[in-house]
Amino acid sequence: MKMYLRLVSALIQGVEPSDKEKKRNKIFYIVMAIIAGFGIMLPMTFFVGVIIYSMTGALLPFGTPENGAELFLHLIATFSFIFGLNVIFSVFYFSGDIESLLPLPLRPYQIIGAKFTAALISESVMEWLVLAAALIGYTIGGKMPFYAWLGVIIGTITMPILPLIYCGIICMIVMYFTRFIKNKDTVNKITGLFTFAVIVGIVYTGSLSGFNTDKLIDALSKPDNALLNVMNCIFPTVPLLIRSMGTGSPLELILYLLINAAAVCIFMLLAQVLYLPSVVGIGQGGAKERHSAAEIISKMKRHSTVITCLKKEFRILVRTPAYFTNCVMINFMCPVFVYLAFVIHGQTNFLESFIYGIKSGNRESVLMLVLGITAVSVLVTAINCIASSAITREGKHFAFIKYIPVPYMTQLNVKALISIIFSGSGMILSIVWMGIQLNTGYKFTLFCCLLSLLCVSFATYFGIFMDCINPKLIWDDELNALRGNYNIFFNMAMAIVIEGVLCTGSFLLYKYTPLGVLFIIIIDFVILMLLNAVSYLLCYYKAGRLIEELEG
Amino acid sequence: MIKFENVTKTYNRSVRALDDISFNVKGGEIVGFIGPNGSGKTTTMKLLTGIIRPDSGKITVNGFNIREDPIKVKESIGYISDNPDMFLRLKGTEFLELIGDIYKVPTDERRERISSLAEKFGLTGALSSPMMSYSHGMRQKIMVIAALLHKPPVWILDEPMVGLDPKSAFELKQLMREHTREGNAVFFSTHILEVAEKLCGRVIIIKKGNILYDGTLEELEKQNKNDSLENIFLELTEK
Repeated sequence: MKMYLRLVSALIQGVEPSDKEKKRNKIFYIVMAIIAGFGIMLPMTFFVGVIIYSMTGALLPFGTPENGAELFLHLIATFSFIFGLNVIFSVFYFSGDIESLLPLPLRPYQIIGAKFTAALISESVMEWLVLAAALIGYTIGGKMPFYAWLGVIIGTITMPILPLIYCGIICMIVMYFTRFIKNKDTVNKITGLFTFAVIVGIVYTGSLSGFNTDKLIDALSKPDNALLNVMNCIFPTVPLLIRSMGTGSPLELILYLLINAAAVCIFMLLAQVLYLPSVVGIGQGGAKERHSAAEIISKMKRHSTVITCLKKEFRILVRTPAYFTNCVMINFMCPVFVYLAFVIHGQTNFLESFIYGIKSGNRESVLMLVLGITAVSVLVTAINCIASSAITREGKHFAFIKYIPVPYMTQLNVKALISIIFSGSGMILSIVWMGIQLNTGYKFTLFCCLLSLLCVSFATYFGIFMDCINPKLIWDDELNALRGNYNIFFNMAMAIVIEGVLCTGSFLLYKYTPLGVLFIIIIDFVILMLLNAVSYLLCYYKAGRLIEELEG
Repeated sequence: MIKFENVTKTYNRSVRALDDISFNVKGGEIVGFIGPNGSGKTTTMKLLTGIIRPDSGKITVNGFNIREDPIKVKESIGYISDNPDMFLRLKGTEFLELIGDIYKVPTDERRERISSLAEKFGLTGALSSPMMSYSHGMRQKIMVIAALLHKPPVWILDEPMVGLDPKSAFELKQLMREHTREGNAVFFSTHILEVAEKLCGRVIIIKKGNILYDGTLEELEKQNKNDSLENIFLELTEK
């Protein structure tokens, strides 16, 4: 046990920012944590709690108050499983610490147990908050008795275990029985494509069924819901926990804990048998020579510093699977969603009335569309984290950007350009597609593209500046550079808060002042120009100095 | 070509890595920088290349002050860091092209230099493969090629022999000699005393951020009654 705890602590320290990084800017961390807490985490958990509370209250008269919470917990478990696959593959088989752990006199289940716990802790912080909010919402909304609060505590802590155990078992079985996955690029590509396919699939099937709140409540009010029955078989802990909270049956709560314990035991047993034979011999994979070096050298040409640095950034983002799936591919999900929304999702009342509003030139709909575009543009740029991990991605070879004879601002501009290219192209594709579908005319579509690029450029320079303040330079796996990176999260929080203020302010101006929509949009445009100027100047005057002060 | 004047560097306001040290490296000299782990060798290298800034003191490389003309200093330097695991997703040729563009090496010169250096270090066959598939030694070799690509007048090499096979180590030593014969300077750190003994006209021995000795090996041996460099080094650094 002592060994296990020491290992977990050592592994978590590898994911968390180092003491040196923490010390670098304590005030920065505190301020950002407050903004992230009040800007994202608290509103989100409150929102989740209110939804589950309302859903449970709405289902109470039908005698199925548990169905709403069950469905939500199943959704959380499914997403936890989908996003956990890549993490577990990476942590179990391709992290840098494996070479140090394998020679130690440790049993396979001890290594896997510690790695699993470290991954669970670092991956589940947000999930715990959301689970707690959902279970509290269910307890209050369903007017549950006092002992239900015990379920809230136990459920919040233990609910993320089963989906990650599934990931762990699948990952060990795949690695044990297959010979083709012997390098992490293949794993990352497969899991990335799997995640993309599942998310598109969920959106697609949700769209086909013409999802809306009335239909959902109607489906959940029936005691025998087919979807829930299937999900209950996959994640049997969910109904046990929810029902034990409602009925107060200690038997169901004990059964819930027993199933979790049994899953852990089976997992450990499988780890003891499968892990060592499957982990030995794993490597980065050797690449084959395709063209003769002499041929390539003879074709070499001189390029400008900007072009060559841009090519380097592009190649690293596209060729590193962790970056490709998390930073690049995500931009092209936006046009896919827009396509699905318009092509398949024609029947919902909200979208129909919105489309009708735009086509008939309804001012409120136009304003909503413009504000929506600005919000999504900022959000996509913050979520893809190309900008907010610009310095972090340099990792251990951060010194390179300091000893080459290229001014820091040129290097930062290149990093900004690559973020604008990827984020902007996804957004422009979406806007053009939307323009065609809504028949908005080329002038309005062009204006929306310009507005979107302004948002992308602001979020990009702001993200780069945020990363310059305190980049996470110590990581042993590219996925670690992005996951558990507080800078990315803080940047996202700041971007959401700024964009939230802009959108809410614009909407309030529209509602409570006599200002016209066009005038409000012009104000937004000017504010975005100012925000761009501020974020660029921050990079210009401060980022260089911050980089110089970083000792890497 | 390198002037290090009264330089002090402190980490986290408490750990004094370099304590008011001064030295010069003239053109035509190969200077070995020797010291135990944590003595301040890498800190000195990082200060010379502009990776970190000194708390006080003046650093001049090839006539340019690092504070006033950082870009000119960086253009004058060929630097090999102690970690060759860099841009592993790029192919060897792509990495060298990046370096060639950054240091503005003309196309013809670039092609000729890459071909000849790759041939010397036995890396031609691997250049078109991603650097991720390279061994540690191969990565070190490509870093050496990259550092020498733009014919910098000053070479600053942090443990350059680590990971090199005997033939490549020999080639690098030859290149260092040729480079100084042309009036240029080489400043390199090493743990391998034999390398310093055979290659350097001068050595600087550093311990806990202070220079213990700066001079020729002959003088050092004379001062210590012809004892071996190994013994002299141990005696100096374990005092």
